[in-house]
Amino acid sequence: MNAPLNRTKRNLTIAKAMAEAIAEEMRRDPSVLVLGEDIGKLGGVFGNTRGLYEEFGAARVKDTPISETAFIGAAVGMACVGMKPVVELMFVDFFGVCMDAIYNLAAKNCYFSGGQSPVPMVLMTSVGGGYGDAGQHSQCLYGTFAHLPGLKVVVPSNAYDAKGLMLSAIRDPNPVVYMFHKALQGMGWLGTVKGAINDVPEDEYLVPIGKAAIARSGKDVTLVGLGATVHHALDAAAELAKDGVEAEVIDLRSLVPLDRETVLASVRKTGRLVVADDDYQSFGVSGEIIALASEAAFPQLKAAPRRVAFPDIPIPFSPALERPLLPDAAKIAAAARATLGKA
Amino acid sequence: MAVPVVVPQDLWEEDLPGIVSAWLFEDGDPVKEGDLIAELMVEKTSYDLTAPKAGRLKILVQPEVPFQRGDVVAQLE
Repeated sequence: MNAPLNRTKRNLTIAKAMAEAIAEEMRRDPSVLVLGEDIGKLGGVFGNTRGLYEEFGAARVKDTPISETAFIGAAVGMACVGMKPVVELMFVDFFGVCMDAIYNLAAKNCYFSGGQSPVPMVLMTSVGGGYGDAGQHSQCLYGTFAHLPGLKVVVPSNAYDAKGLMLSAIRDPNPVVYMFHKALQGMGWLGTVKGAINDVPEDEYLVPIGKAAIARSGKDVTLVGLGATVHHALDAAAELAKDGVEAEVIDLRSLVPLDRETVLASVRKTGRLVVADDDYQSFGVSGEIIALASEAAFPQLKAAPRRVAFPDIPIPFSPALERPLLPDAAKIAAAARATLGKA
Repeated sequence: MAVPVVVPQDLWEEDLPGIVSAWLFEDGDPVKEGDLIAELMVEKTSYDLTAPKAGRLKILVQPEVPFQRGDVVAQLE
């Protein structure tokens, strides 16, 4: 993607791409700093701050006590006075103890102050399950954060986007919730999805917030995914191609702002829509995308849209129970066939 | 002549097995000396493995398969 001809391919994991982006912004802008649990000497439980402590020191890369209430609140305050904190909420599941700072303070301060006091912070947080970490460490909660006005929300599915979205997020004057999926992080103990590792330029480049990507072109059915489900949708598309079905795969990349035009253009072309989301099914991203298609592309729809999401129950610890409930390529392909009347 | 890619004996301190969490090149890809070719994982800490010389990568240890420090995990041909 956009690689200059004079450079060779350099594959990175999302973890490394995130760390590289943060380091580049810290070199460029002294107001950027990082804080969170184990993000210093350890380099982050998910590897996404490796090397920062060694390069920038403890004053700008701050290990915090285990109190999200305190340090996420502190990050909001820092942002209000002009710093640019990148703060990690280790697991999105922990949002309960710091949500007031996020949705009542960070999300609304710019609006309340008539634009005089923006909150230029990045809240990076791990999402997703699939490795037996149970109901308080496996959720996605995309819909929860995307629902609240005042927060931008991004979800990278590969290392190239992870770097470009991180650079955009740090430079954005608004609070950006940067949700990275554990299964894509390139950490062995969480499983590693190969497609998430891709070529990442050393130089800075921005992936714009609010722009979806067409991960695969097709004309018969639109498969919409985000984060991990992009890769399931690509696998499903490869499976469907064996039957002569050309699926188009859309990687949302951003939830807020949502790139409605790209989704609608695809649905208007194919007339069929499947949304894959490993967040809970009800009141979330899958419903929003289907509502969008129903409102704005109804005449072009040839079949009822379908969704493949996590059922509305707490996520089980037992892998034998968890795995069958998660979206996968087979379920997405089956849903696509159903829209084609081939079920 | 093929050069072995050895996991350095001092890459981590304790006598624990590691795994390759991700090969960053495909089997058969050309790599340059110093290229980051794999990420290794020990317990929950990750380490980098770089190419000791330029050559064509032959992967000997697949992801998730345990090895010890000092083991050969690939060759450069």
